[in-house]
Amino acid sequence: MMKKSQRDAVLLSLVREMVARGSWCGETHIQKAAYFLQALLGVPLEFDFILYKHGPFSFDLSYEITALRADALLRYQTRPYPYGPSIVPTDEGRSFLDSYPKTLKRYADQISFVAGKLGNMGVADLERLATALYVTLNQDGQSGPRAEQIPLLKPHISLEEADLAVRRVDEIMGEARDLRISTS
Amino acid sequence: MANQKEIRDPIHNFIRLDPSEIKALDSAPFQRLRNIHQLALTYLLYPGATHRRFEHSLGVMELAGRVYDVVTDQSNVKHDSVKDVIPYDLIKYWRRTLRMAALCHDLGHLPFSHAAESHLLPDGWDHERLTMQFIRSDEMKPIWDSLKVNPEDVAKLAVGPEHYKERSFSDWEAILSEIIAGGAFGVDRIDYLLRDSYHIGAAYGRFDHYRLIDTLRILPREYRSSEQEPGSLEPTLGVEEGGLHSAEALLLARYFMFSQVYCHHVRRIYDIHLMDFLQAWLPGGQFSTCAEDLLMITDNEVTSGLLAAARDVSHPAHVHARRVVGREHFRLLYQRNPVDQDTNLRSSQRIFDAARDRFGDSEVRYDSYRQKSGGLDFPVLVKDKRIMSSLSLSDTLARVPLVAVDYVFVSLGCRKKADIWLKENRKEIIASKGDEDE
Repeated sequence: MMKKSQRDAVLLSLVREMVARGSWCGETHIQKAAYFLQALLGVPLEFDFILYKHGPFSFDLSYEITALRADALLRYQTRPYPYGPSIVPTDEGRSFLDSYPKTLKRYADQISFVAGKLGNMGVADLERLATALYVTLNQDGQSGPRAEQIPLLKPHISLEEADLAVRRVDEIMGEARDLRISTS
Repeated sequence: MANQKEIRDPIHNFIRLDPSEIKALDSAPFQRLRNIHQLALTYLLYPGATHRRFEHSLGVMELAGRVYDVVTDQSNVKHDSVKDVIPYDLIKYWRRTLRMAALCHDLGHLPFSHAAESHLLPDGWDHERLTMQFIRSDEMKPIWDSLKVNPEDVAKLAVGPEHYKERSFSDWEAILSEIIAGGAFGVDRIDYLLRDSYHIGAAYGRFDHYRLIDTLRILPREYRSSEQEPGSLEPTLGVEEGGLHSAEALLLARYFMFSQVYCHHVRRIYDIHLMDFLQAWLPGGQFSTCAEDLLMITDNEVTSGLLAAARDVSHPAHVHARRVVGREHFRLLYQRNPVDQDTNLRSSQRIFDAARDRFGDSEVRYDSYRQKSGGLDFPVLVKDKRIMSSLSLSDTLARVPLVAVDYVFVSLGCRKKADIWLKENRKEIIASKGDEDE
């Protein structure tokens, strides 16, 4: 189990890597990337994700992002219309990472994988993909085909978009297999 | 309206309920809130802060109804994507359900609204779960039946998506729960800021909530996060441009109230001493989660226990009780500050560890709080009908600080020597950097 400060280091590193890969990196981007890191790759962030804003969403994580801003490790970067704000590491945030070499080394491959897969995606893409992963990982055997479940949960996602998202998630899950951290 | 009951209120002037809503007000779980202080022991440092959860909950209900009426008024629905979200065929049902959820949102609070409930309740329990238990109780069932509302809808909106895990929230339900407890414009916060500042006598908690509520709108957060794709159509609470300054004032009021009242170091240490007392005083060190038991314990019973324990030197909770009753609370030794933070981000923790080594565990306490809710980024409908991020329109919002406090306290007996010790060792302690990555 990670200490809180080690978890903060993983989050900050994820944000830094997402920004480096060209991500807009608003809160939705961080939420979905953290979901993939935890749910797909087994990085023990221990956030409680529910299906809510733009798909899987963790209130704990949202609070943690605010707390990291309160600690001046992350900051908002505002943008002119028609864009929303980004959240980026501060100089203090980058310095903070220097204190956690072992933790960052342990999860470097997983962070790099997630940033590489999601870094160029917008909110709508991330919502579809993360919801597809959520549905895939929470199948109860009675809910029918995954692609059909997604528009029921998110009415603004079409069946065609959902089907594409499910197929993309299956590809990513295949590629991620060797990177998954065992919890046992 | 005929038969409406009007209750005078110092914040909202009149709070109005119809006869069927009064049954909820008269229920034992709601009446219990007459004896739960809104701000715990804050009255020990701000003597006016003796108000209770009872009147706050009435205020939240009143404001929830006002916001609901504004955002569902068809002339205020300004975006096509929002028209399908509002179920106009059930508009009265949801208004009543929202008001009842707002009225009941604090039913499960422990005595003194205690924040340290994770230490005072069994694993898996918090005040939101207790709130749901009260809403679903046999006592409340006939009330919901007479009101023709589904108690599950009341419970769902009362505790929101973070705590109601049984079913996911539709866009409409998410908006309604946001009206109560949303990060930016939740009426829970609007009421407590206004009410707490009124009772405390601190003017900086006030803002123009009339203007703010009149300009609230349901809007999609449609501003973009990439050049290629349009923004999201997921609806949320935002404001028309004319309400932006009132929104700024709300968020500044929140900052001032948190930094100067809710996180006042004396208030924080009293909370810690109260928790210590409760752990020593309660059977098994925890509150019962049984609804019948909870109805029997309020601030009155705890205060009586505090006074008795403070007078009885043989009582196992005597020391903790005296710290509250006799104002023998621990004193502030150190607090987080920007200068030390520049040297070491964990300066407070370093001071705490060193002080504990020097004076012993029982003489030193640590407290830390970080603001959880941001709420600075919300959609704003500008005059030419574009929807923009509040942060791109308001330099003020972009600069509202977030509250972050760390305190190290020492016992009265250690205070003088601890002050001298810190003065002599402060620089060296703060400069020390342990291995955080173990």
